[in-house]
Amino acid sequence: MRSESGKLLLVGDNPFHGISHMSEDRARARGSEISSAEYAADLVSNSLKSGANGFMFSVSQNTLSALQIVCEKTGNESMELHAIVPYAYEYVRLATHSGTLGLGRKLASEILLSANISAIASGLKGVVTMDPVDLMKTYIKYEKNRISSHIGKKHKLTSILLHEVITDMVIALDLDWFVKSYIRFISKFGIKPGFETRNFSYLVNKFKEWKIDFSQIELVSSFNKIGFQMNPSKISCEEALTSIPECEVIAMSILAAGYIKLTEAADYIESLPNLKGLVVGVSKEKQALETFSFLRDKFAVKSNL
Amino acid sequence: MKTVKVAIIGLGKMGLLHASILKTMPNVEIISLCDKSSVLRKICKKLFKYAQVVDDIEKLAGLDINTVYVATPIPGHFPIVNAILSENIAKNVFVEKTLTSNWDKSIHLCELASKTQGSNMVGYMKRFAVTFSKAKNLLDQNVLGDLVSFEAYAFSSDFSNFPTSSKSKSRGGVLSDLGSHVIDLALWFFGDFNVESALSKSVDNIVAEDSVEFKVKKIGIDGTFHVSWCMDNYRMPNFGLSIIGSAGTIKVNDYSLDLKLKNGESRTWFKHDLNDYVRFLLGESEYYREDEAFVNSILNDNKVEPSFLTASKVDNVIDNVRKEVSTNEV
Repeated sequence: MRSESGKLLLVGDNPFHGISHMSEDRARARGSEISSAEYAADLVSNSLKSGANGFMFSVSQNTLSALQIVCEKTGNESMELHAIVPYAYEYVRLATHSGTLGLGRKLASEILLSANISAIASGLKGVVTMDPVDLMKTYIKYEKNRISSHIGKKHKLTSILLHEVITDMVIALDLDWFVKSYIRFISKFGIKPGFETRNFSYLVNKFKEWKIDFSQIELVSSFNKIGFQMNPSKISCEEALTSIPECEVIAMSILAAGYIKLTEAADYIESLPNLKGLVVGVSKEKQALETFSFLRDKFAVKSNL
Repeated sequence: MKTVKVAIIGLGKMGLLHASILKTMPNVEIISLCDKSSVLRKICKKLFKYAQVVDDIEKLAGLDINTVYVATPIPGHFPIVNAILSENIAKNVFVEKTLTSNWDKSIHLCELASKTQGSNMVGYMKRFAVTFSKAKNLLDQNVLGDLVSFEAYAFSSDFSNFPTSSKSKSRGGVLSDLGSHVIDLALWFFGDFNVESALSKSVDNIVAEDSVEFKVKKIGIDGTFHVSWCMDNYRMPNFGLSIIGSAGTIKVNDYSLDLKLKNGESRTWFKHDLNDYVRFLLGESEYYREDEAFVNSILNDNKVEPSFLTASKVDNVIDNVRKEVSTNEV
């Protein structure tokens, strides 16, 4: 549950996947400990205790294992859970080994093995028609089921976001019908449909053209003081943000991959209108405690724990 | 205003990436898509409702296209580009790296392309990454003085703890798939060089090219390359060079550039400092810049780099490395 006056503060999972947009050497130097489910779960739990009120994660087996530990440990049923699908890295790696068709076959066999009857049924329809919307529905059902089996009945998914690679391809290719089907389909489950993008102003313009109701969706994109990954420019992203006050927009890359200090990053975020929240990754216990207690104080969010 | 009318051959991840980026550009129309796979064609017919989706490059001949992107696995590049240029299907051709699987074939395509008078380009996109283009700029300004040596690497974990033999061949081996990028950067930075020695390793002892080290030389400069797709903990492919000159050193990779001069001056540039903006970001920013450069060359009737001729030099180096490896094996 969010404080009405404060911003939603989410802990992100990028460090758990060895992601650093500043230096891969730095990501490797973190060691393998951070990718263990127990270590990642402790970081999330400590972040929640220090002021975070939710977790944004890519749906990988490792993150789901960490999430399961967090959900079992915490009695906080209001913890927000924002899932990003697909975990693109895993699928690109599979495509590297098996080709695009091999990837499809592997995913199909996983869906069959998951024994999710609903996903299998719509999957069969998708295979027959090769319809991208049917295939998307099958895949989302499969991932939703995977998440549910790890978070238990006490916890609920807040949003399901399309990974930036899919979102950005969809807007580039003008697939308005896909976006509308996705929004309708996710909304049916009482979950907020979301889109992660590296092309915020392009997306906002497209969605306006397609008459998408911004109040029904969540957007996640880069917002930081130096304009890192804010394309085509920092100012165009800021203007796009100003133009959609009704939308739930969450800022990512607020530290510009470690280039900016937290205090400076927070000042910039505070200066922007319409941002509903932010997501920050942490890799050490001390960092988790300091980061989220600072952000909680800065943005006056009441701890849920 | 001229319109770039494109057909994309090969609907794997690179074909879809280029299609998406091109679709966002003004003066570009995607007219057709081509792939052997009926499954991919069926899906793409729904995604690209405005485009013709065909199963054979011969079917592109009757369509109103002037440009082709070839994004198939490397072994398909030569027969496809040969057919496109020989049969006048299009005069502007972009090919994902490497141009072909050997230098003789690449030279043949260079000759064909020179007759068509169109634009031709090979997808060595690292030239368009802000850190590497900054390094090129510093070298052109002679910031390091006389160049002495360099060490280059191209590492990934694509086949770390994974048997490579089946996939290695279709991807052309690690030299073509991964090493070609850093070979192209070295040729761009330093000019032509000779291969002096080379060693190749295979993880599973089957005939697979998984890891290669080789030394090169040109007058006054020694170079060493390390290429492997079996490294642990490389989430993404990493490329980099350390360059030593009489006046100092440069270390450059995908993320940053360190300059240290003997006069005590030093500076580090991160991508963040190098105006890394593009109109549409998909994958890495260099993909947009690469496609933009190719499209602009067609619209403005200019030449663009890396051209087929420039890229053929990478295939020449790879051939020579493989010859050295086979000599050592004998």
